[in-house]
Amino acid sequence: MNVLLQIMDTAGAALVFVGAVICLLGAIGMLRLPDVLSRSHAATKPQTLGLLLVLAGVALRLRGGMDLATLALIGFFQLLTSPVASHLVARSAYRTGQVGHSELLFDDLDEQLTVAEEEPEPGPGPKPGPERD
Amino acid sequence: MKRFVTLSYRDPDLPPFSCAFPGRRGRVLDLPLIAWLTLIWVLLWSTLTWANVVTGVVVAVAVCLAFPLPKVDLGLRLHPWGILVLAGYLLYDMYTSGVQVTRQIFAGRPHRPAVIGVPLRCRSDLMLAATAVAVSNVPGGSVIEVRRATGTLFLHVLDADRPEALEAARRSVWRLEALTVRAFGTRDEIDRVSAPPPPTEPPGEGEARS
Repeated sequence: MNVLLQIMDTAGAALVFVGAVICLLGAIGMLRLPDVLSRSHAATKPQTLGLLLVLAGVALRLRGGMDLATLALIGFFQLLTSPVASHLVARSAYRTGQVGHSELLFDDLDEQLTVAEEEPEPGPGPKPGPERD
Repeated sequence: MKRFVTLSYRDPDLPPFSCAFPGRRGRVLDLPLIAWLTLIWVLLWSTLTWANVVTGVVVAVAVCLAFPLPKVDLGLRLHPWGILVLAGYLLYDMYTSGVQVTRQIFAGRPHRPAVIGVPLRCRSDLMLAATAVAVSNVPGGSVIEVRRATGTLFLHVLDADRPEALEAARRSVWRLEALTVRAFGTRDEIDRVSAPPPPTEPPGEGEARS
């Protein structure tokens, strides 16, 4: 039994370490990548994976029912909120022209935005224009 | 006799699992929401005592009365098996995503990003949001823009040097959409995602606007 606890402790420590390394890689990626949109990849995905690994490691060391539930709650909110934050950053970056359009190989959204901007000429009746909320 | 609390099974106008209070404002409480808020409250205190549960319910009801949500039927259904499959795919995809992004960070050559639009098969708001969240957590793209009217997600793809990479990103979005809908969607939406994905160039989008 003692051996089992020892194994769980060691595995927990290893998971925390791996998670921290992955978070560090994400931070290095934020420095190395050129523009906002690419950086948002590095800022969100490795961080989420790293945090989940750290949480798993902590769970292996704590082993209490209530603590496990709290850790699960943290992971759940991380999964739910980090896409929202990165989406808002990416969206505002795109709309304020922080994106090197010449760098992009191609761009489906650009045509749609320009078409939508040309459109608001006064027409008869309400137009089913593209939603821009 | 006027009831102080009307439960939803007495009044078919109310959304399921909710109760309404009479009065000018006509507040409607969503019982699953209150249960969820109470659960979070108890977890944050991290001890399960009656005092915590009672104060949690009081705080949850107070929050729901002070900040009422709009009355919508989200169309949320829970399919346990679908949720398990979705969680498994997400974990696996997040692992590969981490590896892939790390490799691109240290590749040392300039990569060619692209922005692609992926039309989805479902139009419900909840499914659109859930799919966008799922897509953001896996490789291939981060969501830049969501067009609600046409149900289209716009993704930034980090390494789009080859056309296969773009095709792969599209296919992964459609696969995730199917998994998400099988976990949380209604019967009608599950039938929709069982159909093959729409063609790459969405036809009729130009006509719909004019």
